[in-house]
Amino acid sequence: MIRLTLKRPPAVPLEAEVLSPSLLAGLSHTEICGLHLYHGKRRMRVDEFFDVEGERSSTVDITGDLRRVRWLGRGMTDGTLTIHGSAGMHLGARMKGGRIEVFGNADDWVGAEMTNGLVRIHGHAGGQIGGAYRGSLRGMKNGTIIVEGTAGLEVGLRMRRGTIVIGGRVRDFCGLQMKGGTIILLDGAEIRTGAWMNRGTILSLRSLKLLPTFRFACYDNPTFIGVHARFLKPLGIRLPHAPTEGSWARYCGDFCVPGKGEIFIWHPAAAPEPAVSEL
Amino acid sequence: MGGKVTCTLGEVKNRADFIVYWGGNPAECHPRHFTKYTLMQKSRWLPRGRKDRTMVLVDIRETKSAKAADIFLQVRPGCDFELLSILRAMVRDEPVDPDAVAETGIAYDVLEDLVRRMKSCRFGCMFFGMGLSMTRGKHMNSAALLTLAAELNAFTKFVAMPMRGHGNVTGADVIMRWQTGYPFGITFNRGYPRYNPGEFSTVDVLVRGDCDAAFIIGADPGATMPQPAIDHLARIPTIVLDPHVTHTSRLARVHITTAPAGIAAPGTAYRMDEIPLPLKPALKSPYPTDEEIVRRIREAVATRPFWMPEDSPQMTTEQL
Amino acid sequence: MLRITGGKIYDPASGINGEIRTLYIEDGRFVASGEGGRTIDAAGMIVFPGGVDVHTHVAGGAINFARAMTPEDHRRTQAFIRSQTRRSGLGGMAPTTFATGYLYAGMGFTTVNEAAVPVLSARHTHEELSDIPIVDKSSLVLMANNELLLDQLDAGEYERARSILAWYIRAAGSWGIKAVNPGGVAAWKWGGNAGQLTETVDGFRHVTPGTIVASLARMCHDLNLPHPLHLHCNNLGAPGNVSTTLETLRHLEGHRAHIAHSQYHAYGGDDWDTMRSATSDLADWFNTHDNLTTDAGAVLFGDTVTITADGPWQHLLYRLTGRKWGNLDVENETGCGIVPYTYRPGHLVNAVQWAAGLELLLLIEDPWKVFLSTDHPNGGCFWRYPEILELLMCADYRQECLRQLPDRIRSRILLPEIDREYSLYDVATAMSAGPAQALGLPRKGSLAVGCDADVVIYEEDDNIRRMFSHPRYVIKSGEIVIEDGDIRETPDGREFLVQPHCDPDTETFIRPLFEDCYTMSFDNYPVEPHRIPRAEIHHRPASP
Repeated sequence: MIRLTLKRPPAVPLEAEVLSPSLLAGLSHTEICGLHLYHGKRRMRVDEFFDVEGERSSTVDITGDLRRVRWLGRGMTDGTLTIHGSAGMHLGARMKGGRIEVFGNADDWVGAEMTNGLVRIHGHAGGQIGGAYRGSLRGMKNGTIIVEGTAGLEVGLRMRRGTIVIGGRVRDFCGLQMKGGTIILLDGAEIRTGAWMNRGTILSLRSLKLLPTFRFACYDNPTFIGVHARFLKPLGIRLPHAPTEGSWARYCGDFCVPGKGEIFIWHPAAAPEPAVSEL
Repeated sequence: MGGKVTCTLGEVKNRADFIVYWGGNPAECHPRHFTKYTLMQKSRWLPRGRKDRTMVLVDIRETKSAKAADIFLQVRPGCDFELLSILRAMVRDEPVDPDAVAETGIAYDVLEDLVRRMKSCRFGCMFFGMGLSMTRGKHMNSAALLTLAAELNAFTKFVAMPMRGHGNVTGADVIMRWQTGYPFGITFNRGYPRYNPGEFSTVDVLVRGDCDAAFIIGADPGATMPQPAIDHLARIPTIVLDPHVTHTSRLARVHITTAPAGIAAPGTAYRMDEIPLPLKPALKSPYPTDEEIVRRIREAVATRPFWMPEDSPQMTTEQL
Repeated sequence: MLRITGGKIYDPASGINGEIRTLYIEDGRFVASGEGGRTIDAAGMIVFPGGVDVHTHVAGGAINFARAMTPEDHRRTQAFIRSQTRRSGLGGMAPTTFATGYLYAGMGFTTVNEAAVPVLSARHTHEELSDIPIVDKSSLVLMANNELLLDQLDAGEYERARSILAWYIRAAGSWGIKAVNPGGVAAWKWGGNAGQLTETVDGFRHVTPGTIVASLARMCHDLNLPHPLHLHCNNLGAPGNVSTTLETLRHLEGHRAHIAHSQYHAYGGDDWDTMRSATSDLADWFNTHDNLTTDAGAVLFGDTVTITADGPWQHLLYRLTGRKWGNLDVENETGCGIVPYTYRPGHLVNAVQWAAGLELLLLIEDPWKVFLSTDHPNGGCFWRYPEILELLMCADYRQECLRQLPDRIRSRILLPEIDREYSLYDVATAMSAGPAQALGLPRKGSLAVGCDADVVIYEEDDNIRRMFSHPRYVIKSGEIVIEDGDIRETPDGREFLVQPHCDPDTETFIRPLFEDCYTMSFDNYPVEPHRIPRAEIHHRPASP
C-alpha cells in the first residue's frame, strides 16, 4: 500500500494526474517522491506536497483536504485509489479500469470520458459526471459511477454506455445529449432531465418534471431493470423492480432531437394515483 | 449537434424579412440596431424597408423594444429552453402537448403562427441576448436557439447571432482563437493552451479563489461579478488597466490609466458579427496605450529567470 | 554567408536533377560564390527548394470559426510548448497560427497561399497571417459572388467590372482572385445554389456561372495579375460533377486558370450509390491543354474539418452527417460553411475520393500542371503531405493501401491500374517549383542565384514518409529555422501583395453603391497596406 498525506493545502490548483495507482504501482519510494505535480504553473515534486509512505503497490490511499487537487486517478487502468477527504475536479477522468473510492465530496467532471472502472463517492459531487469534455461527441463509454449525495449540472453529458447512480438530488440537464448507458436517480432531479437525449435510459425513483418533448408510452416492468437491480445489489443500492412493488412509467424522447431515449419513473404499488406530475 | 449558422449584419440589412429578438432589449441596449441593420433600412430586396419586415420579440417582460415589434411573445421566466424545444418539435411536425405549451405562457395557436412564419419567410434571423444566454440553462439556451436556426434551413434561409456588448469582447474572442484555438476559459499553466469553461473562465476561477494574482484589461469585474469573485480580487494583488477609474480599480493594488482605444489609441475592433473595424484615433492622450503597458510589463518579466523548467520538451502529443 | 556542400540538388526550375553542387547564400538569397561563414555538409542528403503550398486555408474568419468548433480535436493533437523564444500553440485539424508556422516549416514548406479571403474581413486575415511565423504568405480574395461586381457583369459593363475587381484586390491586400462556386454562393444567400453553367444566377437577369468564370479569367489577364484565376468550380463534391467541371474548362479556353482541388470535381455516376472516379476525363483535358494548372485536393482517411466558401454544399454535408455545422454569410461578397468530417476507408464515397486525388496526381503527366494539396483542412491536414508523397512514390505501398478498401471499389476507380511512381524530381516540381510558378511568386521555388534562399535538406531514407516528415535542415531566407527536428529560429515571414492598375474614378463610382448595401463606413473598408507587417507590394501595370 502507498499512503500519501497532504502536508499543506495548495494555494492554487494542484494538477496531480501522476497520482494514479497504475502509474505508481511500478515505482520506488524515491521515484514517487520525485514525480512532478503542477502547482499553478510551477512544477513541484510530489514530496513537496505529500508525505509519502510505501512503494510499488497499486493500492493507494490519499488523505487530506484535496479540494484543489485535480486529475487524481486520471487514466488509471487498475488498482485501487482511496481518498480520505474531498477530491478536486477531474477525479478518475478518462480512467480505463480499477476502483476509486472517496470518503468525502468530489468536484466537477468525475469519471469524465472514462472507459471502464468503478468510482464511488460517499459524499456529494459536482457537475458533468461521466461527461464528455466540451466539444467531444462522447462521454463515458463504460464503467460505473456511484454518488451517494447530490450531483450538479449535466450529469452523464453525452455518455455512450455505463451506469451512473446518484443517491441525492441532481441539478438540471441530467443525461443531456445522452447516446446510451443508464442513469439511475434515487432522489430525482431538477428540470430538463434527458434533454436532447438520443438513446439511453434514465431511471428515477422520484417524480420528474419532464420536458414537453417527452411522451408517455406505457406502464411497464421491463426485465432489464431487474438486471440492473441485481448488478447494483452488491454495491448496496436497492432498485425496486418486482411488479408487486409497483411499476415504471415509461416516457420516450427527446422528440426535439428526435431521439429514441427513454425515461422510467417509478410508481410504487401502494399509491392508487400516480404521485408524479407527467408533464 | 451544435454549431452556429450566422451571417454579417449587412445580410440582415439587405435580406432579412423576418427578425426575432430573444431575451434582449435592443431599443435600450443596442439603440442603433433597428435603424442601422434590422428594421428601418431599405434594400434592393426590401424596397419598403420596415413594411417589408416582420419583427418578433420574445422576452419575459414588455420592454421598450416591444413597441417596435409586430409580435410580442411574453415567455414565462425560466421557460425559454422549453419554448425552444417545443418550437424545434413543431418545426418538424412532431405533436406537442398543448398543456406543456400553455406552461410557457404562450398560446398554442400563437406558436403555430410563429412556426408558419419562420418556415415561410425568405430570410430569417434570430438575435439573442443575455436574457437567454445568462439565465437558467445558460449555454444550453443559446445552443437550443442556434440549433433551431440551423434546422430551419431545411425550409428556408435562417441564421442566428448573439447580441454581444461591451467594447471589443468579440475581438478578444477572435484573437484568442487564432493564437490558442479556444475563445476563452484558457489556462497556459502547462506551457500550452488548455480550455475548460467553468474551470478556467474568469468568474469561476475568482469565485473558487483559484488564482493568486489578477491582471484586468478593459473590463470591470468589480461591478458585474458575484460577491465572492469581487472579494477574491480584493484579497490578491490585482492590476487594472483602464482609461477610467473603475469599481475594480478601487479594490486593486495598482491602477494604470491608459489611452482610450478608438479615441486616443489605434488598433482593430471586432463587431458582434466578427467584422474587423480599424480604430482611427481622433485625439492624442497623455496616457500610454494598453498595448504599450503590456509590452513593457512583458519586457520587464523577461529579465527575470524563466519560469518553465529547462528540460521542458518542444512539444507533447499527450495533453492533460 | 552560408554554404551547403555535397548535397544532391533537385531544382526543377533550373532543370537540375540530382546533381551534386554547392549552394551559396548571402543576405537571404542565393549567390554565385562566397567565402567564410558556416558550411552545412549535405553529403548523402537531398536538397530541395522550400515547399510552396498553392492552396491552403490557414488564416481568416473561416478557419478561425473552425477552431472554435473543434475543441475536442485541439485536446487530442500535438501541442507546442512555449519557450523563451517560441510561442505555444496547437496542431491538429485547424492549427493555431504559431503552430501553423512551426508545422509548415517543420515539413520543409516556406511559402503558403491562403486561398479564400473576403474583402470585408481581409483585415482580420492579414492580422492572423502576420501571426504565422517563419513562412512567407500570399492570399487570394473571393470574387465570384460579389454582388457589386456581378451587377456590372449583369449589365454588360465588363470594363467597369474589371475596375471594380482591381479596386477590390487592392482593398483586400491580395495576390490574386479566387472564384468559389460562381453564382452559387450568391444564390445560397436565399438558400439556393447554381449548378448549371448556362443558367441565370438567382437574383440576376443575365449573368450565369459560365459568364462569371470567363469574365474573371479575362480580367486576371487584362490586369496582368501574377496568378491567373484560381477557380473552385460549381457542383463541388456532387456525383457526376465532372460534366460541370469539363464545361467550366471549355468556358476557360483561351484563358489561363488554376483549378483548385480538382479531386472534388472529378466524379462520375448519378448519385451517392453509383458515384465513381472520372479523373481520366479531367486528366485528359489537362494533358492536352497548356492554359491550366491544378492542385489535387487529395483526401486522406481520418478526421478533419471541412471549410469552404461553398455554403450550399456545407448545408448538404451537415444534413448528411448530422454533425456540427457552422455557416457565415458575408454581406454582398461571399459566405463560408464549416462541417467536421471523417473520411472512412470502408465508406464507398470516401474511398472513391481518396483514389481520385491520387489518380489526378498520377494521370496528369506533367508535374508542372498538378500540385500537391489536400485543400487543407478539407481533404486532410497539410502536415500529412508526406503520407501522400509516400503514396505517389511507392506503387507497392499504394497497392497495399488499396487492398484495405472494400472490393466493390475496384470497378469505380482507376488507381489499381496505375503504376507510375513519382521521382524526387517530380516531387520537387509538384511541391515547390510548379506551385511557385503558377502563383507567379517572384524568387520562390528555385535554388537559382538571386532567388530567396528557402531550402529544405532531407537525409536520404528508404522510408519516404519519414524522410519528408523530418527534414534535417530547413532554411528560410538564408536562416536555419529547423535543425535535427528542433525549431531553432522563428523569424517573421513576408506577405506578398499585388496592386493592379485601377482607374482613378473607380472609388467615386463604388462609394454610393457600397453605402447602399454595406454596413461599415466606406473609408474603413480597404485594408491600409501600411498596416500589413512586412508587406512586399508588387505594382502591375495593365496588360498592353
